[in-house]
Amino acid sequence: MMFANIYAITKKEILDNIRNKWVIILTIIFTTLTLLASYAGSIMSSGWQDLSGTISSMIVLVQYLISIIALILGYSAIIGEIESGSMNSLLSLPTTRNEILLGKFFGLGTILSISILIGFGLAGIIIGLNVGSVNYGEYFFFIAASILMGLIFLSIGFSISTIFKKRSSAMGVAIFTWIFFAIIWIFIVTALVLATNPDLFNMDPSQSPDEFEMEIPEIIYTSDFFNPISAFSRLISLNVGTTDNTEYGNIDLEAPDYINSINMFITMCIWLFSFLLLAFWRFNKRDI
Amino acid sequence: MVTKIIRCPTCKNDVTIQANPGEKTNITCPKCNTKGTFTFPETKPNIKTVDGSYSIEVNGLSKSFNGFKAVNNVSFSVKTGEIFGFLGPNGAGKTTTIKSILDLIHSNSGTIKIKGIDIHKNIKDAKKNIGYLPERVAFYDNLTALQNMYFFAEMKNAPKSECKKLIEDMGLGDVVNKRIGKFSKGMVQRLGMAQAMLGSPPILILDEPSSGLDPRGAVLIRDKIKELQKNGATIFLSSHILAEVQEICDRVAIINRGYLVAKDSVSNLRQKLNLKPKLTLELDNMTDKIKKAINDVEGIDNIQIINKIINIVCNPNAKSKVIVAIEKAGGNIINLHTSDPSLEQVFMRYTE
Repeated sequence: MMFANIYAITKKEILDNIRNKWVIILTIIFTTLTLLASYAGSIMSSGWQDLSGTISSMIVLVQYLISIIALILGYSAIIGEIESGSMNSLLSLPTTRNEILLGKFFGLGTILSISILIGFGLAGIIIGLNVGSVNYGEYFFFIAASILMGLIFLSIGFSISTIFKKRSSAMGVAIFTWIFFAIIWIFIVTALVLATNPDLFNMDPSQSPDEFEMEIPEIIYTSDFFNPISAFSRLISLNVGTTDNTEYGNIDLEAPDYINSINMFITMCIWLFSFLLLAFWRFNKRDI
Repeated sequence: MVTKIIRCPTCKNDVTIQANPGEKTNITCPKCNTKGTFTFPETKPNIKTVDGSYSIEVNGLSKSFNGFKAVNNVSFSVKTGEIFGFLGPNGAGKTTTIKSILDLIHSNSGTIKIKGIDIHKNIKDAKKNIGYLPERVAFYDNLTALQNMYFFAEMKNAPKSECKKLIEDMGLGDVVNKRIGKFSKGMVQRLGMAQAMLGSPPILILDEPSSGLDPRGAVLIRDKIKELQKNGATIFLSSHILAEVQEICDRVAIINRGYLVAKDSVSNLRQKLNLKPKLTLELDNMTDKIKKAINDVEGIDNIQIINKIINIVCNPNAKSKVIVAIEKAGGNIINLHTSDPSLEQVFMRYTE
């Protein structure tokens, strides 16, 4: 492995994306949405929310937005260069496919991370100036977790990019992947919950939570391991905010022991590296 | 076949003559009848092989795509210092072979060595010896020509100081800081050639180097290829422009439907196919004596006489004998034209 080659490709990728305005566009999007979420995100109060409140408003937005942006950056990374023809020149150089893929991943990963860091960071500073007490530690944790989730979807995008032979097919699969994790997944989990807990069909929606006793089905927790978006939001909910509630009426809200920050972090790392390894394997096998 | 204009020393008339490099030609000025000879110089430099070694060795290469055999048991070697033409119709397997040499495509079987290095064992070291101009050249559109070249220089571990000079050498000095996205196809092609030459690699693999170029650009690339060879580089050239291949290549290989059907010098391939040159003469008079004299010359395959014009298909060494025979029989040649079988004819025969 030649680090000089990886560095050169990373540098080129960053320069290329700075010049095509990706960094600026993403930074503006992240800053604007964070400020909007903070200022107008709460229906309970008017004016600026503190950073913890902003995170609560932002979390859904981040789940949907960063995942799709990372997939868009990733799906064309390899197949885009193959289709344009520049991969032929790149692969004729004294380098390996692993170095090329790693260099491109680091380059696009840096673009995504810098955009999130500057976008959210800038908004955080503006919110901090308008709100009395702020917990920058929690906010920084949120930014770091958002970057990690972005990198996961970037690696998924990379693997899609190495598997498909046409850019258009890769784009279609990338969009479907996003729809699956962001939208369809909720229906799958709901269906599984109802299938494994038939009593829920007999619930009276007019009942108050105090009038019935129930536990959250475990499948809701275990499903977090199988969707990086769920793992991300669980990681945030475990670490951001100060709620001590473990019960809502007679509903037991306490998560099982295995739903903890370390396991969620490990889960997200497994997502990241498994798709990156898939991308390495496919890229090394494919004909250009 | 080379064309040259010679000025008659007596009447200063320009006379057009044609022959192969190294061939001696008799000239008769059509205006004042002054006779003379001209020997065409050897335009091709001698191949300087380094201890007779091979720069590229392909042995038993095969590659299939979904059951279709694109390349079938192809073997050839490219001598160090030669220009090797790789020809074939569209879809014959040229690009698959080139991509296999660069490991862009994983072959099903066979070995490929670059400067003795097996690419399947050490592709990185093998590629250090190669400069590659792909058939479809592409760069990074958002970067300038110079930024693109700097990137390739960094990857090839070549000095960045080379970049600007190479861009200027390819006639792109005015646009070094222009984004590639604003380049024409021809400009991208020229930059592709500059990129291939970056770091002075000992082997250049050029896939359709004149593609998309105007005549001036094509000449520039051709001259550059000759210059590279003079400096000791080995050139592997794939091109559909057969006149260009015939002019600059020392040897050629022809691939058809995935099989290598021929490999040799153009003149040897002509001989193998028994393709003979055609001689066209125009005389100021035609007599039975002249006709008999021509018929008596050995090595003539076919004679066609229309008024004072004679078309002869003959062995290469019979051409001068015909001229001498005509003159001895009292004939006066006022116009002479010889045409050797072109590479195009060779190509057509091998790819039928």
